[in-house]
Amino acid sequence: MTNHVLLNNIEHKGLKINTDRTEEMGDNVWFAQTFPLEFRNVQAHYPILFQKDANTGQFMPVALFGFENGDNLFLKNGQWDAAYIPFTIQRMPFYIGFQDVKNNGVKEKQRVITLDLDSPKVGKDKGVGLFLEYGGNSNYLENVAVVLETLHTGIQQNEPFIEALVSLDLLEAVTLDIELNDRSKNQLVGFYTINEENLNNLSQDKFIGLQQAGFIESIYMIIASQMHIHDLVARKNAKLLS
Amino acid sequence: MQSEIKNIVIVGGGTAGWITAGLLAAKHLNKTSTGSPVVNITLVESPNIPSIGVGEGTWPSMRETLKTIGIDETELFLYCDASFKQASKFIDWETLPVSQNSETNRSYYHPFSLPFGTNTHNLGKYIGDHSPENGHLSFTQKFCSQSILCEKNLSPKQIIHKGYDYIANYGYHLDATKFSALLKNHCIKKLDVNHVVSHITAVHNNKENDIAYVVTDTHGDIYGELFIDCSGAQSLLLGKHYKIPFCCKKDILFNDTALAVQIPYQDDDSPIASCTHSTAQTSGWIWDIGLQTRRGVGHVYSSQHTTDTAAEQELNQYIEQLEFAKKTDISIKKVTFNPGHYEKLWHQNCVAVGMAAGFIEPLEASALAMIEQSAQMISDQLPATKQTMKITAKRFNEKFTKHWQQIIEFLKLHYVISKRDDSSYWLDNRESSTIPNSLQEMLSLWRYQAPSKYDIPQANPLFPAASYQYVLYGMHFQTKSYQYSEEEDKLMRQVLNDVHNKRQKLAEILEPNRVLINKIKQYGLTKI
Repeated sequence: MTNHVLLNNIEHKGLKINTDRTEEMGDNVWFAQTFPLEFRNVQAHYPILFQKDANTGQFMPVALFGFENGDNLFLKNGQWDAAYIPFTIQRMPFYIGFQDVKNNGVKEKQRVITLDLDSPKVGKDKGVGLFLEYGGNSNYLENVAVVLETLHTGIQQNEPFIEALVSLDLLEAVTLDIELNDRSKNQLVGFYTINEENLNNLSQDKFIGLQQAGFIESIYMIIASQMHIHDLVARKNAKLLS
Repeated sequence: MQSEIKNIVIVGGGTAGWITAGLLAAKHLNKTSTGSPVVNITLVESPNIPSIGVGEGTWPSMRETLKTIGIDETELFLYCDASFKQASKFIDWETLPVSQNSETNRSYYHPFSLPFGTNTHNLGKYIGDHSPENGHLSFTQKFCSQSILCEKNLSPKQIIHKGYDYIANYGYHLDATKFSALLKNHCIKKLDVNHVVSHITAVHNNKENDIAYVVTDTHGDIYGELFIDCSGAQSLLLGKHYKIPFCCKKDILFNDTALAVQIPYQDDDSPIASCTHSTAQTSGWIWDIGLQTRRGVGHVYSSQHTTDTAAEQELNQYIEQLEFAKKTDISIKKVTFNPGHYEKLWHQNCVAVGMAAGFIEPLEASALAMIEQSAQMISDQLPATKQTMKITAKRFNEKFTKHWQQIIEFLKLHYVISKRDDSSYWLDNRESSTIPNSLQEMLSLWRYQAPSKYDIPQANPLFPAASYQYVLYGMHFQTKSYQYSEEEDKLMRQVLNDVHNKRQKLAEILEPNRVLINKIKQYGLTKI
């Protein structure tokens, strides 16, 4: 369960965030939502696929870390074994909340940082502090604010991106057949990818439309990222041996 | 080449007309290499004829029908007040309600998913034995995972499923008038069906006694090689014009009158049921169909056995005990019908679909399914010429006469195995002179063996053996248990265990109907 509270430097003065990357810390996720702004970094390490949001049924791009629920193949000796960690993971256990504030008498919504107090990452003993001695933000917290801000902007990009892909019929369901060294065969369903045939057959004006919207680069990065599925299989095989 | 079938004329709008037009158009309107359509489809309907508004429940086959016609599933939820139908629930059919009886004892389900294992395993003692040592679970609780979704008003799919995909098999409850409008719009705009709004004033035959054209009051004469009668109860072409005799079935199925009402929900959050409720009354039964904004409720009864006043009183009593309902301003609409069907459904170059072919009480919501099947067969078997039409007509008549027979006997089964004796209606229903011989024969067999595919001679029947099992064992019909091996007993225990687990799992992952329908309306269902 989660317990989100508004972050403040009085109640949360002594709190520390455990930055270990382990199952106990809740990092054993097998995929995480991503967005075009970070595709360049994500595609260097992970396959980017699409999944449907369980709550809305809408497509979202995800970075894949494993082949089954609870199995993150990048967790190694308390570290995340890759040079880049997607924003939706980096941000844990912080979220963006909205608060009504009065600005010159006009009510408006302001984005604020909230913290999930029930996250195993939150404690008093181990980790990095959030606030400095006299209440100022620690460098860690400053960075969290940047991550959340980037995330907020980045995720908003997904909607027009997905809308363009769906309207041009550029998504297709994909079933990943994974055969491991122990000869076990696994089938991964519920994922979607770019329909390359439809992409290649796009009319010129539609292609230019995608280009002008800035989506072409994202589409090809997704296609290129598929190669990392082999890396995941290798990691899984290595894990089976250990 | 005069006898080529190039022009099809559908007489009558409504769901029958538009489903037929849609299925025919989706298959046959593809253009030839020269750009002209293979066939022309024209639908003629009279202006301002209100749809009768029955047939608010569909079977799962409607999903395939709509997919074929090319309608997006999301549209149904946006424009037709649609909800999911997963079963029919029969309440008080077995015995008169006694106050101390629990809800489960008073009712049984006929779900759209097949019972697990009953077609492949020797069910032995597990099927017809209702002794306490065999557990207090009902037949569906033992063999079908779907009924738990009905018990809890849960949806048959998740928002991540694409249009028409499912976890548990389903059809729809929908507003028939709005549904008809959706189909009409799609047929005209997307499928190029010609639409003529005009009264038909005369029908003219050619020398071969085929219909040559119909005369309209504002659009002249409409010629065609095939005429499809979707004119509803008036049966303009088959009944009135060709005077094909009507086979009245009131001696078997007594109901001939219905009182229908619409009851809005209390508020936007009122739960939506997953199944049609059918509650037995003194001389008939009450349907209760939950759409998004309202329920459709109606009492269908035998005018020989009760009066309109008494029927209305029972209907009011039923409405009185409804929860989540706004009970103000209820206006009752009375409909009378002659249960039965025409002796022939396809005569010369005229075939009837929907009420123009026949009508029977909506106990198993078979009306729309019959329309779909008829239209599908006409579309699949569309004769190329008038010469071959005779053969198609003969086959069509054989198939649909059998369908009518099966529907009538299957509906009758619901009455025959009842133990109610609170009125002459229920007693008369068990009078052997009112029970068709073939049904009597099957009932004798079922005392010793469970219904199986051998009981149903035709291919692609409307009701498979499973449907008979649901009704018989839902009403605690006794099939004598027979010897079964230890091996079979083990298999059955496994089946029961699997179903039990699956029920729990489904109940965990599926949301209430209302929640999913709201999501579908907000986000839409994806096509892939």
